[in-house]
Amino acid sequence: MSNYFNTLPLREKLNQLGVCDFMESSEFLDGVNALKGKKLVIVGCGAQGLNQGLNLRDSGLDISYALRQEAIDGKRDSWKNATENNFNVGTYEQLIPSADVVINLTPDKQHTAVVNAVMPLMKQGATLLYSHGFNIVEEGMQIRKDITVIMVAPKCPGSEVRAEYVRGFGVPTLIAVHPENDPEGKGLEQAKAYCVGTGGHRAGVLKSSFVAEVKSDLMGEQTILCGLLQTGSILSFDKMIEKGIDAGYASKLVQYGVEVITEALKQGGITAMMDRLSNVAKIKAFEVSEELKTIMRPLFQKHQDDIMSGEFSRIMMEDWAAGDKNLLAWRAATGETAFEKTPAGNVTIGEQEYFDNNLLMVAFVRAGVELAFETMVEAGIKPESAYYESLHETPLIANTIARKKLFEMNRVISDTAEYGCYLFDHACKPLLADFMTRVDTDLVGKNFNEGKDGAVDNRALIAVNEVIRTHQVELVGAELRKAMTAMKSIKTA
Amino acid sequence: MSDPVVHITNLNIKYHQKVVLGDMNWTIRRKEHWLLCGKSGSGKTTLAKAIAGADHVYGNVELHFDAESALPAKALYVANWYQFKDLEGQSNFYYQQRYNKQAVEVTATVNAELEAYGKKNGLNFSSLDRIIDALGYAALLDSALIQLSSGEHKKLQLVKALWFKPQLLILDQPYNGLDAASRKNLNVLIDEFVGAGLQLILISNERDLPSCINRVAEIREGQIHESNLEEHQASHKMTIKEEALKPVPAFLRDFPVAYNACGIIRMIDVNISYGDKQVLKDINWEVNAGEKWLLQGHNGSGKSTLLSLISGDHPQAYSNNFYLFGNKRGSGESIWDIKARIGLISPELHWYFDASATVWQSIVSGFYDSSGLFCDPGATKKAQADELLSYFGLDEYKNTLMNKLPLGKQRLALLARTIIKNPELLILDEPCQGLDHQQTKHFNKLVDELCKNGTTLIYVGHFESQLPSCIEKKIVLENGEVKLIENRLESV
Repeated sequence: MSNYFNTLPLREKLNQLGVCDFMESSEFLDGVNALKGKKLVIVGCGAQGLNQGLNLRDSGLDISYALRQEAIDGKRDSWKNATENNFNVGTYEQLIPSADVVINLTPDKQHTAVVNAVMPLMKQGATLLYSHGFNIVEEGMQIRKDITVIMVAPKCPGSEVRAEYVRGFGVPTLIAVHPENDPEGKGLEQAKAYCVGTGGHRAGVLKSSFVAEVKSDLMGEQTILCGLLQTGSILSFDKMIEKGIDAGYASKLVQYGVEVITEALKQGGITAMMDRLSNVAKIKAFEVSEELKTIMRPLFQKHQDDIMSGEFSRIMMEDWAAGDKNLLAWRAATGETAFEKTPAGNVTIGEQEYFDNNLLMVAFVRAGVELAFETMVEAGIKPESAYYESLHETPLIANTIARKKLFEMNRVISDTAEYGCYLFDHACKPLLADFMTRVDTDLVGKNFNEGKDGAVDNRALIAVNEVIRTHQVELVGAELRKAMTAMKSIKTA
Repeated sequence: MSDPVVHITNLNIKYHQKVVLGDMNWTIRRKEHWLLCGKSGSGKTTLAKAIAGADHVYGNVELHFDAESALPAKALYVANWYQFKDLEGQSNFYYQQRYNKQAVEVTATVNAELEAYGKKNGLNFSSLDRIIDALGYAALLDSALIQLSSGEHKKLQLVKALWFKPQLLILDQPYNGLDAASRKNLNVLIDEFVGAGLQLILISNERDLPSCINRVAEIREGQIHESNLEEHQASHKMTIKEEALKPVPAFLRDFPVAYNACGIIRMIDVNISYGDKQVLKDINWEVNAGEKWLLQGHNGSGKSTLLSLISGDHPQAYSNNFYLFGNKRGSGESIWDIKARIGLISPELHWYFDASATVWQSIVSGFYDSSGLFCDPGATKKAQADELLSYFGLDEYKNTLMNKLPLGKQRLALLARTIIKNPELLILDEPCQGLDHQQTKHFNKLVDELCKNGTTLIYVGHFESQLPSCIEKKIVLENGEVKLIENRLESV
């Protein structure tokens, strides 16, 4: 198997990277009809597998779960999830041959093995559904030519997929059809129907391609979503300790602060997040984030380059082959950081205080979101795709940090994201070393506004607002958020 | 006169430029146990929170505790709304989540929760058993918090408060969701604790009160009006008027859309269990179009689980043999097809409802069976929502967020939501929780009126005196089994 993207001529590469169509709700009027009466078999019953299955069944579709014999015999969690919710469960051999659609919701790392096991069992003309394109694009998995290959990727954790569905809504979703595997031309209709079955059609659906999804997804998770949140959290915490701020306070300010700050991002983009600061603080955060953008831009570009060239997946797959040697070592090291080991103190921190006392985090988030977005768009990814993989997902990841810090974040995200996150973090910290020597507690740990009279120069403020508000991520975001305004806020603190 | 325990002078609380409490004065002395009443929105909860030490209070609230008392010197407020958290300290739960089984338990068990609570507050574990027994809670100790019904959550809240046994206990609508026996037991327990030095402020619309109540305070126009129990009950009888029902909006006077002559519900040996715990056992029940049913049973008898099967909210529906609206469940229908034919209200629906929606959005969302509004409803539906908004007297709250309103008003908005699409089947699970007698009476009259046109009704209510008169059949559950099915008219 060789990297699929690298086999394409440049013209076709750009073509597939550029697939990006924000769909109208009128395109979903046919409901679940394209899948009605068909046998849908889900492989894997973790959080995504179970919750998508619950939604699809409640939408009137026929759902079963295919698990490996060991999982059934050992009564593993996947088996319990499926049987205790009264789904039909069987082995690959029992269920795959009669399946009209096989839905692969296992982790990336298992895809090759799973697909190699199910493909020979699949009937002529069946459909194989992925929720992430890594296996097809990066590993170059070749699927039998009679099989239709589609992708439906809800852009939220599994529990949200369920929670939004039962309240009559859904979560934003990407769909795609693999151009090499659409022999009957039914791929798009089935992907749309699946989307209706999970409720995704109510919250905005982006028609993408396997290539665009993978290249943007990898970029987002490595840089802003996980990488930078990890780097920013550790550096902010260490700085506060160095400057004598109470450790419990510092731990809490960072752990819950990322969530509170990015909740504003989710509701109203970078603009809303920056507007939570006083005028003086906003100007300062703007300046700091501009500096951060200059320092970090080459690193963001390197990540995008390695993703495009396939270099990133090559070294990660080497680590898979080595039994996850690096991944496990880095995971252990993260568990040993002072931030991770210091429990949040029993102090009350007001909602506004999370902004005022951690300007640095606001600056990190703005710099990271804009850089990730800009770098993706420069590389040929369309702004809408870039928005989902940068700004949109940041609050969702921040929520995992609020729950149990970085360990929890790295547990919840895929191993692929986790691997990329560590790569970024290890390169980013040295890059920011000099910058961090100039950071003091006015930026992180204490209220920036303290001792200032709040006066600003009108023209300076207007100029800053202008730059923030007219950034492309803000213009695109305002449009896309219209489709999901009703999403409920996630709150821990 | 004895020393005051609570001494309030010139208390002022405004809400959105509107005076809720204006220069209010109130003194509570030792041995006085108060019933605090007033219309929905009169400020009962606000006052209770001010006594228990809420922020942003203008005025003087002094508390004088008894230094000699063995009980903790604290005014403990027990809210009319329960809360619980998962193991990670979040309370991000969603509607019907408790019916989905996930291999990893997300919340602690009742036992673990009580243990943590007791340790945190330094409570004596030997005094807990008496309370657990009295409230019949022993069987629930091993349940996960997420699995509890709303009535069971309410009881847990009360167990904790009574175990804490503060010098001053303020209970805000403690009877919501409790069955008749539990209410009685709670009252007995309260009286027992009062004997041990506890002092009580009780916010409630109910008539069966603990016998310790010896004072009554009613909030009217931001002021306290004091009386005693006899005066209060006498004047109460006078003020409950037989108000005639306003004409029901025209769009609700038609026959329900898609009126179905065949069976609405047919359950054949329905069983639901979680692990070893069986919640419903061999339920056989048939409901035909146009029938009006009362569903009763003690807390934990399986009422909400039974109803969740009908409303499409229970995953185990797919492994049971039952029919809804003539179709076998799990034969290709979606839960939205089912919900489209049902108007549902329940304590859980209220608890999980999107509190960041406005009153108007909440009412309109009844057309779509969603929690919150996600689309533009169009002119006809908008006009109908406006009409219903007025009918329920909610005009001035049209654009107010649900979470900014007192529970009683929220409930009225959700009742309007329940009936707005004139559904074939109305499922009203304790619909009048949080309403006063007048409002309850009025709503039940409205139900009678709506049901004249062939609507099928399933009504859950613990009290015979507070039911619509159209009810003709009754099913009673006990420990998950059908204890009784009867024709109510015959039994009278």
